[in-house]
Amino acid sequence: MSTTQTQTETKKSKQKLAIIDTDIHERVLYKDLLPYLDNPWRHYIENCGWIQEKHLPYVQPTVAGVDRADAVPPNGGLPGTDLKFMQEQLLDDIGHEFGILTGALDPSPSSMHGWPEMATALASAYNDWQIENWLEKDERLYGSIQIAAQEVESAVKEIERVGNHPKMVQVLLPIDDIMWGDPQYHPIFEAAERHNLMIGMHHNEPPSYYGKWPRYFIEWHTLIPTAHIMMITNLVFNGVFEKYPNLKCMMIEGGFTHVPHIMRKMDQQYKDLRHEVPWLKRKPSQVIKENFCFTTQPVEELSKKEFMQLLDQLGSEDIISFSTDYPHWDYDSPYRALPNLDKELSKKIFSENARNFYPKLPKKEGGEQ
Amino acid sequence: MKQVVCKKEDIMPGEMMQSNLGRIEIVVCRTLDGEFYAYTNKCIHQGASLSKGKLCGTSTQTDTVGEYNYCHEGEILRCPWHGREFDIKNDGKMLADPKVKLPSFQVDIEGDDVVVSK
Repeated sequence: MSTTQTQTETKKSKQKLAIIDTDIHERVLYKDLLPYLDNPWRHYIENCGWIQEKHLPYVQPTVAGVDRADAVPPNGGLPGTDLKFMQEQLLDDIGHEFGILTGALDPSPSSMHGWPEMATALASAYNDWQIENWLEKDERLYGSIQIAAQEVESAVKEIERVGNHPKMVQVLLPIDDIMWGDPQYHPIFEAAERHNLMIGMHHNEPPSYYGKWPRYFIEWHTLIPTAHIMMITNLVFNGVFEKYPNLKCMMIEGGFTHVPHIMRKMDQQYKDLRHEVPWLKRKPSQVIKENFCFTTQPVEELSKKEFMQLLDQLGSEDIISFSTDYPHWDYDSPYRALPNLDKELSKKIFSENARNFYPKLPKKEGGEQ
Repeated sequence: MKQVVCKKEDIMPGEMMQSNLGRIEIVVCRTLDGEFYAYTNKCIHQGASLSKGKLCGTSTQTDTVGEYNYCHEGEILRCPWHGREFDIKNDGKMLADPKVKLPSFQVDIEGDDVVVSK
């Protein structure tokens, strides 16, 4: 049992933190999806060895690939596949109040470049598997709806099918090479808003070098925030949040330190070029403050002074939410990743901003925020 | 503070072991040449248990783009989370930023005993 690390984490704190962790990667194996798939889809996986195509030309040159080396469950399985071990190593040890599951990106139906019927079947199977094996087995865990967003009609049907589940809090869209702000995808946002769901955007394998791949993983991984910037720009200027004002978007695993820049850049451009996007009635920075939230991980190493300067430039204490990215290799420790912040600010970042962001998360008893 | 943490044969060359010096959690490493080294078991970045990482080699600095010189096998302690590299034969210095290093402990071999002291 490799729980030494988490024991070490909690020792550092006099009391456990109240955390709403906005990025936890549970992992499904294709064999686990088989009971939730009808034929011919099951047949293609079971008998033909079908797997989703991958794009990254490198593996993560870390200690254990994409994962923390100490997150392997006792049965030797892959990190993120064992709820009991995740409970011990993360949820119980840290003391999570809630955690938002965001999948492990394989399969990621919306990232598939072909076979949309298979993508649609996988999304439905994934949702049923997630509900039965995670959401209904741990009251702290909340889920993300997988869809095959490239097939808008079927994606909307899937949101209609599972969107009313009390523990599904958002629709997951990958940041890859499709710009989801384009009007053809707006029915997805309409369906999400209708079901009181938010949008979770998490990069999968975006070709972040002008549509191509850099030579080295370190370049690609450094540039992930640029893929997030592209998606923010696309969503705002295509008027998604003017059409669906109750909808919000959680930008997951891109950090937040790029946001002050893009707010200013978009505002400057809006003053000059507003007439090109006359449906955008608010300043882009205002849209970002009112309709976006950003998970902290993978946060740069910041002093308290640097952190507060960035927050000042962001102009809001309400749009960043802590995330661990467990069980991935660039996990952020709730006790070590951020500088020591004042109590009220810490409370916002570690729990209250996420609680306010997701309307389906339970409010605190007595209405306290 | 001085403590026997294990026998020499408990750690084979190229391996490492978590142990304690009093209340301090340490990692005892043995390089391929048979030498022993002891460091704090907590990564100075975010506190991961280094004994869950890897004792491996690395590609050293080069002046030529595209050239890889993999060496120092068994001498580089890599963190299990973010993969930061510490040179255990060079005072635990972080390869990417040698100004910072892992807190280290004195190791003496007394007969078959591995003795760590602070």
